[in-house]
Amino acid sequence: MLRSLTRTALRQGARISHRAIATTAVRPADASDLTIQEREQIYPKLGNRDIVGYGFNGNPVYIDREEWPAPAVRFRENTAEVQALRAKEQGDWKALTLEEKKGLYRASFRQTYAEMTAPTGEWKTVIAGLLLGLSFTGWVLIWMKTCVYPPMPRTITKEWQVAQAERMVKQRQGAVLGISSQWDYEKNEWK
Amino acid sequence: MAHWGQLMFQDAASPIMIQLVALHDHALTIMIMVVSLVLYMLYSILTNKFTCRTLLEAQEIETIWTVLPATILVVLALPSLRLLYLMDEISQPTLTVKTIGHQWYWSYEYSDFLNLEFDSYMLPTEELQDGEFRLLEVDHRMVIPMQTEVRLLVTAADVIHSWCVPSLGIKLDGIPGRLNQTTLSINRPGIFYGQCSEMCGANHSFMPIALEVIDHPSFTQWVMTFSE
Repeated sequence: MLRSLTRTALRQGARISHRAIATTAVRPADASDLTIQEREQIYPKLGNRDIVGYGFNGNPVYIDREEWPAPAVRFRENTAEVQALRAKEQGDWKALTLEEKKGLYRASFRQTYAEMTAPTGEWKTVIAGLLLGLSFTGWVLIWMKTCVYPPMPRTITKEWQVAQAERMVKQRQGAVLGISSQWDYEKNEWK
Repeated sequence: MAHWGQLMFQDAASPIMIQLVALHDHALTIMIMVVSLVLYMLYSILTNKFTCRTLLEAQEIETIWTVLPATILVVLALPSLRLLYLMDEISQPTLTVKTIGHQWYWSYEYSDFLNLEFDSYMLPTEELQDGEFRLLEVDHRMVIPMQTEVRLLVTAADVIHSWCVPSLGIKLDGIPGRLNQTTLSINRPGIFYGQCSEMCGANHSFMPIALEVIDHPSFTQWVMTFSE
């Protein structure tokens, strides 16, 4: 309710068409015939930039994305140098120097595709954080072993474990696929 | 009992456990196939440089990946339910043994005979002989004859305990005031170990089960020596 009131007030105040404050997609012609005040009101962040197409969702927003090569607005405002380059662009492109071509690109776009898709090196930070965490854990484990754990039981010695293995064989433990299946009961030796 | 570094099931000693291992193999096979497929799909999507901005609907694949998992689930459920009901079957047991869980020992009663009851306490680590198994040995083992159907009734005297022997595929809660019944039928002689499987207090980890399975003549002899 408040939103429609604001809209009516704005419309009355600026005498702008319904199309101008609609939430549907912008067209290149929409912004070009507005005054500066009207432009500030309807497209607050647009500045002096041209609307050049639909963009990725119809809003006059600039964004660098691989899958949308043509944003809805140019990146930079139309300053005098940019206007001069545009005028030169109307002629033969072979007359443009490399610097001028680059200038025209940078006026319309923020990053090249190469810059957009360049690796960030974030993986180094991630690996560094991981190694720090692991090394801290390692110190905790060392402390646990030296200061916290009680002594090992007497059944952990090698002799006891050998005696256990013999007992397991005598009891026929693991007769199918386990330890006793590896013992030859006739020859009294391991298979 | 498990050997060092054992990850999978202990060798089966009863027909039910054999079936349980087979069901597990079946389920794990299906699981490995599904997981491989999912990992492959994940990998191929993540390493694909293309983008599709206009993905919408796709009725055919939606149908496939609804019907196929449903079929897989039926293929999983049928053997599982079969075994579940098989485990509940009681035929004609020749022997009945009552197992009562206490804090913190098991007691066994063979009511088919006169005055055959005893307690089974864990052997403390200090009292173990060379080669005996720590936390598994008991002073009096539960003795039963092999290849005989034995009815097992499990209950408890104080808190809930659980009588578990992995190589027989048995885990049965002993609940005070309740008798839980199952059948044991063991293929081969030997000693089968297990541990209490329901939190029951301070010494819950120190009340193991040791089942000694012997042939019929030896069992008869044991019963007779016991009554003396």
